[in-house]
Amino acid sequence: MTLTIDLTTATSARAQSATYLGERRDRRGFFTDTTLCIGCKACEVACKEWNELPQDGYTFTGMSYDNTGELSGSTWRHVAFVEQFDDSRSRWLMESDVCKHCTHAGCLDVCPTGAIVRTEFGTVVIQDDVCNGCGYCVVACPFGVISERVDAKPEEHRTHGRGTMGKCTLCYDRLKTGEEPACAKACPTESIQYGNVDELRERAQLRLERVRESFDGAQLYLENENDGIGGGGSIFLLLDRPEVYGLPPHPVVPTKHLPQMWRAAGVAAAALAGAVALASLRL
Amino acid sequence: MNATQSGYYGRPIVKPPEWTALIPIYFWAGGWAGGSATLALGARLAKNERAARTLIVAAAAGCAISGVCLIGDLKRPERFLNMLRVFKPSSPMSVGVFIFSLFGGASMTAAASELTGVARPIGRFAEAVSATTGPLMSVYTAVLIGDTVMPAWHHARRSLPALFAATSALTAGGVGMFFTPPADAKPARRLALLGGVAVPMALERLRDELGTFQHEAYQRGKAGRLSHLARLLSLTGSACTLFARRNARIARFAGAILLAGGLAERFAVYHAGRISAEDPKFTIEH
Repeated sequence: MTLTIDLTTATSARAQSATYLGERRDRRGFFTDTTLCIGCKACEVACKEWNELPQDGYTFTGMSYDNTGELSGSTWRHVAFVEQFDDSRSRWLMESDVCKHCTHAGCLDVCPTGAIVRTEFGTVVIQDDVCNGCGYCVVACPFGVISERVDAKPEEHRTHGRGTMGKCTLCYDRLKTGEEPACAKACPTESIQYGNVDELRERAQLRLERVRESFDGAQLYLENENDGIGGGGSIFLLLDRPEVYGLPPHPVVPTKHLPQMWRAAGVAAAALAGAVALASLRL
Repeated sequence: MNATQSGYYGRPIVKPPEWTALIPIYFWAGGWAGGSATLALGARLAKNERAARTLIVAAAAGCAISGVCLIGDLKRPERFLNMLRVFKPSSPMSVGVFIFSLFGGASMTAAASELTGVARPIGRFAEAVSATTGPLMSVYTAVLIGDTVMPAWHHARRSLPALFAATSALTAGGVGMFFTPPADAKPARRLALLGGVAVPMALERLRDELGTFQHEAYQRGKAGRLSHLARLLSLTGSACTLFARRNARIARFAGAILLAGGLAERFAVYHAGRISAEDPKFTIEH
């Protein structure tokens, strides 16, 4: 898959995301309503098929029906299965997880090559022909979405050294032709809904009000524009706390504190220079 | 198993770094290379030609080690050049690549001129550039790891630069003591001792900034063992430094111990970051 994106967008990542918000362009995203998920994994399969992602091997995790384990460079949709059996209740939670396409995306901020860009749909995409596999995005993602894409053929992997990093593109190629993402298309229960993010937020709010009547713990996740990532392009309706599904309860984009870090570094560098000067005095 | 007790089956929420052990070595070598370059200029101004010569060559050697580690981790040399394609202030790695390129280029030029005697004025100018960018080279890597979601790094983001600066002073002093005769190594000994005092202070600040709960990542497993080793080596090295004024053997021993201590400290920080990512509790409870 080769993506054709104007590279000028890569150089001014911050400015890009700011003008994006200012212009109020038609931002696309997902609303994943976990109350409707039946755990069929059609989204996982459709994603792998459409994006030609390598298999992850036949491993048995022992974690309910989840043998996928986590999102990674080669798994862009992951269905979590949470079994809650105790004295008070017995229930089974399922949630199809995906890249959050953050308003303030850590991966995009820290990418040193400009390989990660914000598209005209407001989504965050890694251009695999620009990515140099440094792995900085992996540790800058508050949700652990990104990792190295490991291909099935180990010999190929060796010759190319570390591969490039991979994550959900929100089916950028399909969006370009007016199609919806493969996972949303394949979802049989409309647990995965695709559309304009503002509309999805409204829809999620209405749905929450109805679900709350039956489930106390129901809550929306990443719908708030004032949270640590400026809200997600992917929003979720959950029936329990985020960490139960393996989601961070308080995600914060690490670059939020970047000026503070450079200030501390400036002070430390000056102190080091001062120490050298002191040591070099002819006393 | 009740998954609610430890997140989702106790699995990590954030992904630990894919960086290999070459990266903490890069942090270490860059640290003492930066300190050595600045110390070289100090020696030059103090007319200590022998130390100046040794230290600028050491700085260049440190850059070479750093370069090999960086490219080794990226796997292909052209990937380093790919990073010079854009300058992105929002990415400490992008900023760092330019700091490293400037510092490395200047140090190499200065060392080459020093060793060959060719183009001395250019060499001296390069030496000044190397000395001024050196401290940045030593500490920018703290910003690089602070700007991640690894709890042990991000929540220590204000004290990590101080720790990296202190370790750089300690190891740059060690380099000076190892490669120059004791008579010319007075500034190196003083810098090592200043580092020896500053490192425990920086570690104290780090502990305060993290709080007891998050600091556990620095005490557990490999991170904990390496922290202990680092402390032991720094203390031994600093103690030996006090007796290194006349005895070249003790000076060499102290220098080597300090360098090893600095390396252990960088690895301790690296592993603390990994540990804090692998256990979801550090991400959940903040």
